[in-house]
Amino acid sequence: MEYRIRKGLDLHLAGAPLPMVDALPPSECCYIRPTDYRWLTPKMLVQPGDSVQVGTPLFADKFDERIVFVSPVEGTVCEIVRGEKRVVECIILSVDRNQPTIRKVDFNPPTTPETLRNLLLQYGLWPSMRQRPFSIIARPDDHPKALFIPCFDSAPLAPSYKMLLNEHRDNLLAGLRALRLLVGDKVPIHLCMSHKEDNLFLESLHDVQLQYFTGPHPAGNLGPQIHRISPLDKGDIVWYIQPWNVAQIGRLLSKGELTFNRIFALTGPAIRHPHYYSTTLGMDVSRSFDHNLSEEHVRIISGNVLSGTAVGDYVTPRFYDAQLTLLPEGGEREVLGWLRPNLHKWSFSHTFLAWLVKHHIFNFNTSQHGDQRNFVMTGVYDKVFPYQSILPLELLKACKTHNIELMEDLGIYEVDDEDFALCEVVCPSKMPCQEMIREGLREILNENR
Amino acid sequence: MKTVDAMKLSQLSDKFSTYFEKGKPLHFLSSLYDAIDSFFLTPKTVTKGGSHVRDAVDMKRVMITVMIALLPALCFGIWNVGSQHYIALGESASFWKCVGYGLLKWLPMVVVTYVSGLTIEVIFAQRRGHQVAEGFFVTGFLIPMIMPPDVPLWMVAVATAFSVLFAKEVFGGTGYNFLNPALVARAFVFFAYPSVISGDAVWISGAPDAVSGATPLALAASGATGQMPSFMEMFVGTVPGCIGETSKIAILIGALILLLTQGPAGRLC
Repeated sequence: MEYRIRKGLDLHLAGAPLPMVDALPPSECCYIRPTDYRWLTPKMLVQPGDSVQVGTPLFADKFDERIVFVSPVEGTVCEIVRGEKRVVECIILSVDRNQPTIRKVDFNPPTTPETLRNLLLQYGLWPSMRQRPFSIIARPDDHPKALFIPCFDSAPLAPSYKMLLNEHRDNLLAGLRALRLLVGDKVPIHLCMSHKEDNLFLESLHDVQLQYFTGPHPAGNLGPQIHRISPLDKGDIVWYIQPWNVAQIGRLLSKGELTFNRIFALTGPAIRHPHYYSTTLGMDVSRSFDHNLSEEHVRIISGNVLSGTAVGDYVTPRFYDAQLTLLPEGGEREVLGWLRPNLHKWSFSHTFLAWLVKHHIFNFNTSQHGDQRNFVMTGVYDKVFPYQSILPLELLKACKTHNIELMEDLGIYEVDDEDFALCEVVCPSKMPCQEMIREGLREILNENR
Repeated sequence: MKTVDAMKLSQLSDKFSTYFEKGKPLHFLSSLYDAIDSFFLTPKTVTKGGSHVRDAVDMKRVMITVMIALLPALCFGIWNVGSQHYIALGESASFWKCVGYGLLKWLPMVVVTYVSGLTIEVIFAQRRGHQVAEGFFVTGFLIPMIMPPDVPLWMVAVATAFSVLFAKEVFGGTGYNFLNPALVARAFVFFAYPSVISGDAVWISGAPDAVSGATPLALAASGATGQMPSFMEMFVGTVPGCIGETSKIAILIGALILLLTQGPAGRLC
């Protein structure tokens, strides 16, 4: 099927990745952050000083201890960093660089959904399966009404999935066969593709639904895609998984190799030579910036500039991201900035003369360009919000007022915070729209638990 | 050069801002200081999470765009107030004389509006620990444009104070109001002091008693259709009335500016 997302916005940033992959040699440190997984309460299974190998459980979900999170490397647990209220921020592993990051494992090939599920849980591959609503790790006992695999990303400077998966086509196919076994024959598997991207050879498959999306970002966001293909009502659940995780599952099942090796794209205006690097999950990748930075003060973001997370001291892409974006820090002040015509500032509105410059690549940085104000009914959200039947401003206000019934009536189960990223970008009141939606979703989840 | 100026000003601002911090003697004026500071220099706030890049537009830019869109109607209105005055007196006056007369009427009114309204805004912002919102800049610009030219200044002050307090601040400030404060100010004058905003005599500034300044609608209602101004006069705006209301052409130019700038300002009208 073909779907067209009409409302949205493509931001033109400098620093798109070139189609070239470099291998990053293993670093000394590996960072595993339980905070990569939304609203997870970890129960630690290791202590500092413990030896770990690829696949050793490090921590488990406190509410479902079958879901374990494993070490992607061989080495020693160096430190468990705790933040406020003793929340585990990061588990720092000291990497044994002489050991391979691929571990051969033996198991009986699974023939039923239950045995496959247990295998994925055992080897720490289950956390890659997430669910909507809420974008949390899927509960193993749930029965989803559909499974989605996003096969392209429309966010600014997003990596090409072809580059990420080029060498793993056979693994991807094996992974898809496994997912079919996992969810059963009756649950549709939707592959969300774009004509702009290479189709990863997947068009030859028969037991999956190929869904093509065109239009500006967020055409690649899962929320609007689910909204079009399989709208969510209260109580409905769909699962989704990134294709590199599908390939990882396929590799385990077809070759008996457990590995967390992956490719990520180093992008952004602050990088001189943006391209792809192959590394292992959690590895410190700060060496990829050596002699590669064009700015002194940069923010390192895991993911894209719209909905990514600043990584702080632990420089590695987060579990679900295949992109690092380096953005110059802003905050410089300008005399009478609200009055100047400004040909060099990007704005979705035409209140700056820069709109006369077509397809100009702007120098984006982290400046907020103004302070936070109350909502003002400007109608600008509607112009970039991709859902056809959801009112963004009203939903945000319902979240702000903690009105759960109204949130449900306005369709909160269909959205995720990333779908509000563009609203947040263009908002003249500088509202933290994504945070508001996230808090709204969390409130509903806590209510349902 | 510009960057150096901005840096110097920024350093100066950093130095002064320490006096307005919590626990410092001038903290009770921090909202006012912040408003003045962010008037001259864009804030140095950076994004903290969520979207790391943002649109350059902010409320100040939105409001200044709306004010720019009001300028054609305002400029024409200032001239027209003077022009109508001298026509009523039966004198011929130059363009600049008309503008001068109009300015004498408009300037005191706009000063009174801003002083009374902003004082309340700043007090509320300070009490709530908020920054001063920009919404009042447009409201304060609009109020003199929708008042009869001879309305007493104290009435303007009272009406502005009433509208800011009861149409906006009691509901939580800009963004929470469900009525337009500028129109509430006019409605307040209409109901509290009807003699200065209704009838035939109020629409021409300083008109002698013998001259009727009846509006075209009043003339039509009384059956005196022959005395009505022509369509072109009404469209161009050379008729008696409030400062900002007479010229349809100027108002349409303003609407065009808002449509062209799209985005936020487009919906505000």
